[in-house]
Amino acid sequence: MPEVHRKLERNAIGFVLAIIVVSSIGGLVEIAPLYTIDETVESDPNMRVYTPLELAGRNIYIREGCYACHSQMIRTLRDEVERYGPYSLAVESKYDHPMLWGSKRTGPDLARVGGKYSDFWHVAHLINPRDVVAGSVMPAYPWLARNPLKISDLGDHLAALRKVGVPYTDEMIANAPADAFGQASPDASQASGVTERYGNDTTVSAFDGVPNRVTEMDAVVAYLQVLGKLTKAAKTEGAAGQGG
Amino acid sequence: MEVDHNTLVAFAKSWGLFYLIAFAIVVLVYVFWPKNRKKFDDAKKSILDDKDDKPWQQ
Amino acid sequence: MIRQLTSGERRSAATILVALVIVGLAMAAAGRADTLGVHGAIVFLYSLVLLFLVLSVIFDPEPEPSRLSQYYDDPSKVGIVLTMIWAIFGMGVGVWVAAQLAWPELAFDAAWSSFGRLRPAHTTGVIFGFGGNALIATSFHVLQRTSRARLADQLSPWFVVFGYNLFCILAVSGYFMGITQSKEYAEAEWYADIWLVVVWVTYFVLFIRTLARRKEPHIYVANWYYMAFILVVAVLHIVNNIAVPVSLTGAKSYSIYSGVQDAMVQWWYGHNAVAFFLTAGFLGMLYYYLPKRAERPIFSYRLSIISFWGITFFYMWAGSHHLHYTALPHWVQTLGMTFSVMLLVPSWASAGNALATLNGAWHKVRDDATLRFIMVASVFYGLTTFEGSFLAIRPVNGLSHYTDWTVGHVHAGALGWVAFITFGSLYSVIPWLWKKKAMYSARLVEVHFWLALMGTIIYVFAMWNSGILQGLMWRTYNDSGTLAFSFLETVIAMHPYYIARAFGGLLFLAGAIVGTYNLYMTIRYTPEDATEKAAGDLPVPGRGEAVAAGE
Repeated sequence: MPEVHRKLERNAIGFVLAIIVVSSIGGLVEIAPLYTIDETVESDPNMRVYTPLELAGRNIYIREGCYACHSQMIRTLRDEVERYGPYSLAVESKYDHPMLWGSKRTGPDLARVGGKYSDFWHVAHLINPRDVVAGSVMPAYPWLARNPLKISDLGDHLAALRKVGVPYTDEMIANAPADAFGQASPDASQASGVTERYGNDTTVSAFDGVPNRVTEMDAVVAYLQVLGKLTKAAKTEGAAGQGG
Repeated sequence: MEVDHNTLVAFAKSWGLFYLIAFAIVVLVYVFWPKNRKKFDDAKKSILDDKDDKPWQQ
Repeated sequence: MIRQLTSGERRSAATILVALVIVGLAMAAAGRADTLGVHGAIVFLYSLVLLFLVLSVIFDPEPEPSRLSQYYDDPSKVGIVLTMIWAIFGMGVGVWVAAQLAWPELAFDAAWSSFGRLRPAHTTGVIFGFGGNALIATSFHVLQRTSRARLADQLSPWFVVFGYNLFCILAVSGYFMGITQSKEYAEAEWYADIWLVVVWVTYFVLFIRTLARRKEPHIYVANWYYMAFILVVAVLHIVNNIAVPVSLTGAKSYSIYSGVQDAMVQWWYGHNAVAFFLTAGFLGMLYYYLPKRAERPIFSYRLSIISFWGITFFYMWAGSHHLHYTALPHWVQTLGMTFSVMLLVPSWASAGNALATLNGAWHKVRDDATLRFIMVASVFYGLTTFEGSFLAIRPVNGLSHYTDWTVGHVHAGALGWVAFITFGSLYSVIPWLWKKKAMYSARLVEVHFWLALMGTIIYVFAMWNSGILQGLMWRTYNDSGTLAFSFLETVIAMHPYYIARAFGGLLFLAGAIVGTYNLYMTIRYTPEDATEKAAGDLPVPGRGEAVAAGE
């Protein structure tokens, strides 16, 4: 046995292989089973995907680093459930590439913030948080209301997400820019296509208060308002436990 | 045999443990094998024997 | 410095740089409608400047063959200077973001300077910029001395140093512009990730080729740690960053992982980045520079081997403790918790080994601030790993997670362990590399030490207080059985601690600035050490080495 190790360390390549083998066991054992299971991710056939506008908002949420201060993962603890709502299920983030569970709550959890405040509140809050919440330490994001949203390439985004497993249809991909415009412009002709493709529960609204002009603010507010609303699984699941 | 979730979890929980114990024994045997004592002592002092500072004295 | 390259190496360097200039131009052209174009311009300018430097000496005479009987330390020297530049940048941004939490107006309502964009610039600046450069620079030094062999060639170490810093620049400049994958500690986008793989493979190959030339049969344990660092970081980086770009003309990509699987992969990566980047590599430094500086062999070589395999084996299981009480299956959480607690054994073995080495040399610790840096690093390593195991216990984590306690824990490790061992190692190696008797000013090392220690302690205590306080406030109920505090009240309660934390960080930054000044003065104004000892820091001559000039 010691001979083996002696050869190992004399031969650098053998040593390299030993390190790789020894170090990869843990990851394999913990990650591989997560892919074999039905229990890890509860199924919900009715769960919908993000609309192009919400997806654009999610990308801005990522761009601005919101995840550094806001989690989207309500833990199975009594005070969290009372403060934020039913605890998060794995299924709720199954279309999240990548997930935004977060690791720090400098601000509150946002997993179920959708519908909790009005669009108007969100817009005012994002333009200057301290106008609405005295004592907040959140940065102000006034440029969101000024920047027009880039919608021309949203079809490519949907197509890329389909490659990694999100079930966007050809029709959704082809109409992505129109749907992004329509969701933020209730009076426009494109608005009806959004509910047709993404379901009647999809909110169509002039999120930033200005119809027919799609800004980054529209996208972010649309995203915030859908958080926790893509599936009803967490509410119906009740106290059902998690996997083994 | 069909590899399903439970199989993998069971494997992780049982064989992972055996692997761990076996691995620990292998490392300990190597480290305390009497024949290796001298080698480790040499290695320990190797960086201090100034050979790398004064190679011409060797 | 560039004149040390052979004309063949200069031509290869020029060829690589021309290729990079073209890649930069292509990126700038293809990505002109996107922030990718800015990165193309950065790649273009970066390689153009280097190309100019190489071309300016391309027809100069060949270097002296006698260089082959010496160690090749120029890349280490450049790496050390870069380490200190990144330290000031990364820690400076850190102080700024810390101050923003106390005074949010300090974001000045601009996009690039908002907290969410600065935060990854801080973490990447200190972990990869400061830590990474320190690891690369010291690994070249330690590898050559312990192998008693010169680096296998002269070109690839430069490729590693400059290629790696290009990655860091792309990453950090990207965050200011909003280019991020949002994966913590792996925020850089797909093209920067691919570039890092190229650099890292070169690093690994160089390491192995140099090891193959070693004159010692046994590989000294410090190199084991450096090797584990290089290897495992490669595996982690590649697996965690697999993504599909939206298009080749844009920066944005989508991770192939989603939801719970992504969370597990992310924290498997995240925790092992702590293990193999911030622990294994720096333990490599500890196991070389501590015995050298104390002039005493390591207390127990056997213990160092046991802790090496312990760390290599246990750490990989521990990542899931970042996901307690989440939607991750319960058994994975339990497994992560168990291994995190067991990790205490190899961790304390290392910390104890370091302190026992100093036993009998405490007078040196008292008199020598450099050795004291290393000693305090070992103490913080022991404290932080204990705290880490403790925080990984599920119910404890229930309180600490999402709070500043985690931030305090990370900084106890990052400041108290990583930065202290780095500064201790740098103050040891700088005089050796530049062939000086000592640092320019031992007094300033002393000043740096106390600034760093005070800064760390203030920082960590502030975060313990704020973290535990906020965690408790979140779960406090009043008599009627409802939650006692609104979220906002818990934010307002943090204010004094955030001020204290920013102040602690400021002290630490001030120490790094003092250290950089000391480095500059040592290089520029300290006379060379002409004694035999400095002249004798040479590799063992090998067979036919002198003729292998073109290698």
